Amino acid sequence: MEALLTAAFLTALLAGAVAAGVPLLLAGLGEQMSEKAGVLNIGIEGMMLMGAYLGFLVAFESGNGALGFVAGMAGGMAVAFVMAILCVGLALNQIVIGIGLTLGVEGLTALLHHFQFSTTYPRLPAAWRMPVPGLVELPVIGPALFDRHPLVYLAFLLVPLLAWLYRRTALGLTLRAAGEKPAALDVAGIDVATVRFLAVLFTGAMAGLGGAFMANVAAGIFIPFMTGGAGFIGIVLAMLARGRPAWVLIGAVVFGGALSLTTALQVAGLNVPTDLIQMLPFAAVMAVLVLYGRKARLPAALGLPYVRGAR
Amino acid sequence: MIKRLMQGAALGLALATFGAVVANAVQVNAIAILVPEEGTDYGWNQQGVDAAVAAANATGVEVITAEGLGYGDIRPTLRELAEEGASLMIAHASGYNTAAPEIAQETGVPVAIVDSPDALVPGLVADYTLSGHEGAYLAGVMAATMTRTGTVGIVVSGEPPSWNAQSAGFAQGVQATNPDVKIVYAVIGPAAYADAAGGNRVTAAVIAAGADIVFGQGNGSSFGMLQAIETTPATDGGKVLFIDVIGDKSSIDKGYLLTSVLWDMTPVYTAMIEDLENDTFGTKSYAIGLADDSVRLLQTDNIPADVWEQVMAVRQELVDGTLVLEPVFDAEGVRALVTSVAE
Repeated sequence: MEALLTAAFLTALLAGAVAAGVPLLLAGLGEQMSEKAGVLNIGIEGMMLMGAYLGFLVAFESGNGALGFVAGMAGGMAVAFVMAILCVGLALNQIVIGIGLTLGVEGLTALLHHFQFSTTYPRLPAAWRMPVPGLVELPVIGPALFDRHPLVYLAFLLVPLLAWLYRRTALGLTLRAAGEKPAALDVAGIDVATVRFLAVLFTGAMAGLGGAFMANVAAGIFIPFMTGGAGFIGIVLAMLARGRPAWVLIGAVVFGGALSLTTALQVAGLNVPTDLIQMLPFAAVMAVLVLYGRKARLPAALGLPYVRGAR
Repeated sequence: MIKRLMQGAALGLALATFGAVVANAVQVNAIAILVPEEGTDYGWNQQGVDAAVAAANATGVEVITAEGLGYGDIRPTLRELAEEGASLMIAHASGYNTAAPEIAQETGVPVAIVDSPDALVPGLVADYTLSGHEGAYLAGVMAATMTRTGTVGIVVSGEPPSWNAQSAGFAQGVQATNPDVKIVYAVIGPAAYADAAGGNRVTAAVIAAGADIVFGQGNGSSFGMLQAIETTPATDGGKVLFIDVIGDKSSIDKGYLLTSVLWDMTPVYTAMIEDLENDTFGTKSYAIGLADDSVRLLQTDNIPADVWEQVMAVRQELVDGTLVLEPVFDAEGVRALVTSVAE
């Protein structure tokens, strides 16, 4: 046991939790904005996958990691654009379109990967890290939390930024109105469709960024289907968070931490079925849902298309 | 007279049996293989597709490949392949074990499934629960001989029986060679075959726990393992080496591949085609092993000559039968072999 309680091992576990949690945090924050505006964005899994693919493609071809993240965001936004056209513009069923888009992107990225990378499987070098002076020297948490890729810090900074936006700005009020009483927003002279359209695009950008992080930083490679349901977990986190960005952060940290804990328990050679250990992350999220989910209140017009004049 | 009568009866019985066999035998014109990921993954999927092509070429039949099908419902694909005239459909993923026999019953086209030895249906459903445990044992011998830190790791993206057998074989090889070497074991997820990020994360943790040689089994996720190995130094500051399974990743290796437990499924698929034609399909199990080189270790520049010689000597013992190794197919058996915190 002592052999496991080394700084190196604990650092790796914490760093692993961060690597697993950041894509969920970004996806959850993105989904939250969409839901606030009244759009249940089930297509977020496909947006993440497209972000992962394009982010990796551009980072690998250009050798520029930052450009890769821009491409990842653009990829997620491209899928979100289609979703917005169909669900906001044409008022089609958000769940059906979301699932359809995810399946379509899974097939498309697998096909593109087949033609581009399936015989070479290129891998990126270790991701660039930005140490935070003064904090990086702290034992274990220093290298695990304060010697990370800049996107990790950015993801954490987005939490207070979005909380401020939702609670303190007119834009935040407009978003909430689009999800709660779109007709009232319409009467106030603000175009509901435009608000929802932009919210969905923001979701795509965040999901794409999360996917690009997963491919370029967490894995260093793109593999078809690699998001493995992370987008759906992001939706759960957003719903649990009751509109509060800080709760998305807590959910992502709990999930990422539980994933790392499963690795720790297995490496420790604990003689219990692996399946039981691997239930931990999901059980942790479900426990949070049972404890706090009852108080969850979703926007009144969530999932309902808004058509001016329709009753 | 009686002797003649008996000879005649025996001849008649033989002819009747032959006639029945001919009547029930299947004329195999085409085989199909269905794989969940691309047939270019340097692993399970690629070896399956390559072996199906080789077996078809060897027996003079056509081959249809359906790749990248994912782990969802493949019933529509199976029906389509049956309509296209496949005489045998090889469902090359444990996730297909429910759908494939159902479609076999529905269409009458025989299927082969994996890791389900109890699911045999004569003439309709065959199983191939393959195990490279002997090859993994040799890899364990090699790892125990070459580790600098005294710790080796096993990382898997799931616990299907064939992978459990290899994990256990690897652990047994390590323990038989040097019982003082610690073995750490971690599963990425219940079915995390494409989870490259998870492969990277878990492998980095296993390396941080002291492993300087990692035995990885993981389809797409194995590329994440490889990336972790290429970017994470061992606890002694040196290089970490990777032991792969099933396929040969030499062409994309950056100098970290120690060896691979290579599988060749060609003899298995060839035997299936022959069994269909002889009306014995679905009546027996298929195996791969060291003796016919359908399981073998990949030789790389990272293996010193004396270590390779030592490993080949153990191989000979396994082939001769001087050393007998029973496969362990259950996950509990694997966990019993790895080092626990109590030790």
